[in-house]
Amino acid sequence: MSHTIEVHNLTKIYPSSGSGGGLLAVDQINFKIGKGEIFGFLGPNGAGKSTTQRMLTTLLTPTEGQILILGHDLADDAYPAKRQIGLVPEESNVYTELTAWDNLMFTGRLYRMSKTDRTIRAEELLKDFGLWEKKDVKAEEFSKGMKRRLSIAMAIIHKPALLFLDEPTPGLDVQSARTIRALISQLSTEGTTVFMTTHQIEEANQLCDRVAIISHGKIAAIDTPEKLKQTFQQVQSVEIAFTSSSEGLEEKLTNLPNVSTVLKIGDKWRLYTNSPPVLLPHLIKFSEEENLGILSLNTLAPSLEDVFLQITGQQIGTISNEPSPQKSGMKRKKGNQS
Amino acid sequence: MKNLWTRILDELSQAWIVTLKDIKVYYLRPGMIMFGFLMPFFMFFSFSVRRNMAAGEGMSRLLALTIFFTAAAAGPFIIPTERRLGTYDRLLAAPMSLFTLLLGKIAVGAFFAIAVSSIAAIVGILFLDASIAQPALMIAGIFIGSFTFSTMGLIFGSIPTRNPGDVQMPSTLIRWVLLFVSGVFVPLSEMSTVARGISYISPLTYAQDLMNHAVLGTGELALWLNLSVLFLSGIIFLLPSIKLHQRGRVLGY
Repeated sequence: MSHTIEVHNLTKIYPSSGSGGGLLAVDQINFKIGKGEIFGFLGPNGAGKSTTQRMLTTLLTPTEGQILILGHDLADDAYPAKRQIGLVPEESNVYTELTAWDNLMFTGRLYRMSKTDRTIRAEELLKDFGLWEKKDVKAEEFSKGMKRRLSIAMAIIHKPALLFLDEPTPGLDVQSARTIRALISQLSTEGTTVFMTTHQIEEANQLCDRVAIISHGKIAAIDTPEKLKQTFQQVQSVEIAFTSSSEGLEEKLTNLPNVSTVLKIGDKWRLYTNSPPVLLPHLIKFSEEENLGILSLNTLAPSLEDVFLQITGQQIGTISNEPSPQKSGMKRKKGNQS
Repeated sequence: MKNLWTRILDELSQAWIVTLKDIKVYYLRPGMIMFGFLMPFFMFFSFSVRRNMAAGEGMSRLLALTIFFTAAAAGPFIIPTERRLGTYDRLLAAPMSLFTLLLGKIAVGAFFAIAVSSIAAIVGILFLDASIAQPALMIAGIFIGSFTFSTMGLIFGSIPTRNPGDVQMPSTLIRWVLLFVSGVFVPLSEMSTVARGISYISPLTYAQDLMNHAVLGTGELALWLNLSVLFLSGIIFLLPSIKLHQRGRVLGY
């Protein structure tokens, strides 16, 4: 067994209620994930991320294709694979009527852990996740972050070889998000393979050994974050902040040589270009001619977010014409999550 | 062979774990108390009040009614609720077969019905001075009937939906219809030929007749027929539940 996950020609067509052919959600995708790897699965809403994850965790029956988890074909006998899988869905699915302790005991029993093992492990996890003091409190009294941590603890109580995480951190406070990211890294170090679907592109950039970008049911790119960024040199950018402003500034910046898109981000302008060295002299000359003092000037390599937008066909700077700088910054973030 | 036996024991143990968890989580939930506990008693009293009914006859009807209504209430409430909360995914992804999971869910409804009908039996014996012709048969009938009707409830719970209301309404409606055609409120002996013919389709008819044998010592149908139909119905009811679950996995529920 060389890979933790092997997917061959995986396809999912949701049957339609009418006479049509159904909805193609995942289209002949192939990938392999090695032991201990943190694998990010990125894509816009409706691209096929969750459908793929649900097929990998046996919750959804594929229309076509083969899934091997730790060498076991899920279509033939999912049982041995299921024993080594942990699953953290997007919504924390803890039993709110049970205490944190009872939730962990139940999951431990489900995975056939002995009483001694599950007691030791539950205590260890509750302490690590800062929930030990609340072990006898019903989960209905927990905050969203606490439920999330408990949900993850339940998924890893049996020390799975493969952990599936669906959107692990959105909506959490900074401290909870950091705890979870640290845990993911630690699990990977200990040899657990992590399959993570996320909208948080920066999170994927920081955590993942490799990422796959899925768009319209097909894998559009799959590689390490850094290699993906290098592939998309046309989305390099120069970020500049002026001491003052002038009328029609955005249009003037757009007309500079080698500028493809201009985006206003807070008090800065980001100019996308395929060649920062060519653009920089023009930009400095422009600021002198327009009498605009330069407050800061940086060249930026393409971010994973830029790569994601390029691959998924979403235009960089599509909302750059917002009148208010603050508004445009906020809307851009929102746009990136869509 | 040893592996197979270990696996069977393992699966049975998993089913029991699911049952225990559901007992803790759901037995005191308003939906279960309303549809599984209060409703059969309300129905019984609303139909028996002002009727001159012997204690034994009343108890026989109450037992059949509680077994039927209570056992069939669990599936349509618990499974869609778990689907909505996402906790059902935890069970589906756990290392156990679908049959094991369903077995655990059947036991949840069955134990609830056994508990509620035991209360009905104790009240009948202690306060209404009802006498039981065949106590062992009554206990066996409560067990078999509870498992059979819990399996029936599971069919509704298996319908792919995340909204309990989508299945509770039709399941309650169908249970009401069955109550009227199964000799619970109108005895089989008083039914017209057509109505009697229809009543034979309903498994509740056989549960009611079994309770008549157990409590009153007499019934319209043969005892072996009542037991066989209830036992076989329980097995047959499992098939649509499995099919509906498989369909749910294709549709994404």
